Amino acid sequence: MRDPAPSGSAVLQADNVSKRFGGNTVFADVSLSLGDKEIVGVIGPNGAGKTTLINILSGQLEPTAGRVRLRGGDVTGVSLAKRAKLGVVRTFQQTKTFKSGTVEENLRRAQMFSGSNLRMDEPYVRALLDRAGLLARLDHLSDTLPYGMQKMLGLIMAILTKPGVLLLDEPAAGLERSERFFIDDYVAAVVRELGASVLLVEHDMELVKRLCPRIAVLDGGRLIAEGPPAEVLSRRDVIEAYLGTADEEDLADA
Amino acid sequence: MVEIVSAGLIGLSLGAQYALLALGFTLIFGIIGVVNFAHGGFYLLGGYVAYACVSMAGLPYPVAVLAAALATAALGYLFELLLLERVIDDHLSTLILTLGFSLVITTGIVLVFGPDAPLFQFPVQGVVRFLGIIVPLANIIVFAICFAAIGVAYALIYRTNFGRSLRALSEDRAVAEALGIRARLMFPLAFALATGLAGMTGALVTPILSLTPHAGEPVLAASFLVVILGGLGSLGGATLAAFLVGMIEAYAAVYLGGSKGALMLFVLVLIVLLVRPTGLYGRTARGA
Repeated sequence: MRDPAPSGSAVLQADNVSKRFGGNTVFADVSLSLGDKEIVGVIGPNGAGKTTLINILSGQLEPTAGRVRLRGGDVTGVSLAKRAKLGVVRTFQQTKTFKSGTVEENLRRAQMFSGSNLRMDEPYVRALLDRAGLLARLDHLSDTLPYGMQKMLGLIMAILTKPGVLLLDEPAAGLERSERFFIDDYVAAVVRELGASVLLVEHDMELVKRLCPRIAVLDGGRLIAEGPPAEVLSRRDVIEAYLGTADEEDLADA
Repeated sequence: MVEIVSAGLIGLSLGAQYALLALGFTLIFGIIGVVNFAHGGFYLLGGYVAYACVSMAGLPYPVAVLAAALATAALGYLFELLLLERVIDDHLSTLILTLGFSLVITTGIVLVFGPDAPLFQFPVQGVVRFLGIIVPLANIIVFAICFAAIGVAYALIYRTNFGRSLRALSEDRAVAEALGIRARLMFPLAFALATGLAGMTGALVTPILSLTPHAGEPVLAASFLVVILGGLGSLGGATLAAFLVGMIEAYAAVYLGGSKGALMLFVLVLIVLLVRPTGLYGRTARGA
C-alpha cells in the first residue's frame, strides 16, 4: 500500500483508488495529487488506465475503492455534472461537441450550462479561437469542421465553464503536427488566466515534456513512477513498460 | 369539393392530436433513450381525470383539461424518478417497466370506473357551416388548442434554457454532463412534460372520439407510427409525420373506407422505411 500523496495544498487528489469491472481490475490502488496551478502529465501504454483515471477524477465512473478529494473535501460519490459545477471539468479524447449547433452556439451552451460568467469575447478566449481557426468560422456547424478544429472547439468549450481543475484526455490526439502547439497556448492560458490546475493524459511525449514539470506513469492500472520528466523517463521500469510501443524512441531521447 | 375540404380539416385536426402525442413520445426517446409503452396509458388517464373532474366534481371543462395535464405530468414525474430511474440504463427493463405501467393504468381505470365507456361529451356541441362545409365546433376548438400547445411545446424546447439543456442531453449526454447539466434532475422533468402533453391530449380528444379503458392502445400504435415515420428522436420529423398521417387517415377514410385506409397508411410507412430506414428526419438510434 502506498500512502496517499502527503500534500496539504492538493487541489484534486486520488487516494488509493481502485476500479474493477466484474472480476477484471483495470485500476489498482492509485494515489495521485494535483497541486494549485500545477500541470501534471499522465502517460502510459494503451490500456494502462489513463482514461479510467480521468473518468474517476471527473466523476464519470465511481471507483470500486478509494476516495477522490477536491480541496480536501470528499467528492467520491459526486456525479460528473455536479463535479463540473464544482469546477472539475473534463474534455474527451474524441471530438465531442453539439453537432447540430454552430461554433458560436456550442460556445454559448458551454457557458450557459455551466453557469459561468466567462464571456467568449474575453481577449484570451478570442486569441485561442483565432489560433484554432474558429474565430472566422463562428457560424459554421460544428459537425462540418475538420477533425482538429472540432477537437479544439471542445477544448475551448471547457474553458468557458471557468474550470478550477481541467482534466484533458489526449488533447493532441487527432491534431495535425502544426496544430499541436495550440495545446501549449491553451494550457498556458488556462493556468495564467483562470489559475486552474491541469491534468493531462497524452501520448505525444514531446508535448508532455514541454508542458509538464511533473509526470506520472501508469502501467497495467498501477502507478509505476512519478516525478520530473527527465528523471522518470530514464527509469528502467518505465522504459520497459513502453517497450514495443511507438513511444520507445521518445523515451530513449529523454 | 366539399368532401375534399372537410376531409382535409379532419386530417388537420387528427394531425394536431398526433403531433402532441408524438412530440412527447419522441422527446422521451431522444432524451432518456426510453421507448415509453405507457404513453397511451397517460393519454387514457388524462381522459378519465378530465371526465372525473367534470362529471363527478362538477368542474368546468377547461379546468378539467388543465387538471388532467397536471395530474398526468405529476404521475409521469414520479414514475420516472421513483421507478424508471432505477433501471434507466437497461433497455429491456425500461421496456417491461413502461409496458407494465401501462397495464396498471388500464386495470386501475377498470377498477375505479368500470369496464364500460362512460358518457363524456364535449361541452360545446354545434357545427360551423361555411360554403356548404360542415365542421363540428368541438373539432375546431380542439384543433386550435392542440395547435397552440404544439407552439408552446416548441417554444419551451427551443427558446428556454430548460429546453436547450434537454436538447443538449439528447444530442450528447456525456458532453452535456461534463459541462454541468444534471441529467438526473432533467430526466423526470422531461418525462413529466411528455406525459403531461399526452394527458392533455387525452382530456381534449376523448370527449370527441370515445373514452373506454382501452382507448390508450390505438393511441400508442399511432404514436409509434408517427414517430417511426418522422424518425425516432426528431421533433420536427414527428410534427411533420403527425400531420401527414392525420391527412392520409382522413382522406383514406373518406375515399377508401376504414380498413383500406388503415392498410394504405401502413403500406406508405413501409415504403418510407424501405427508402429511408431512419424515417423522414431520422438519425441512427443510440442508447442514452
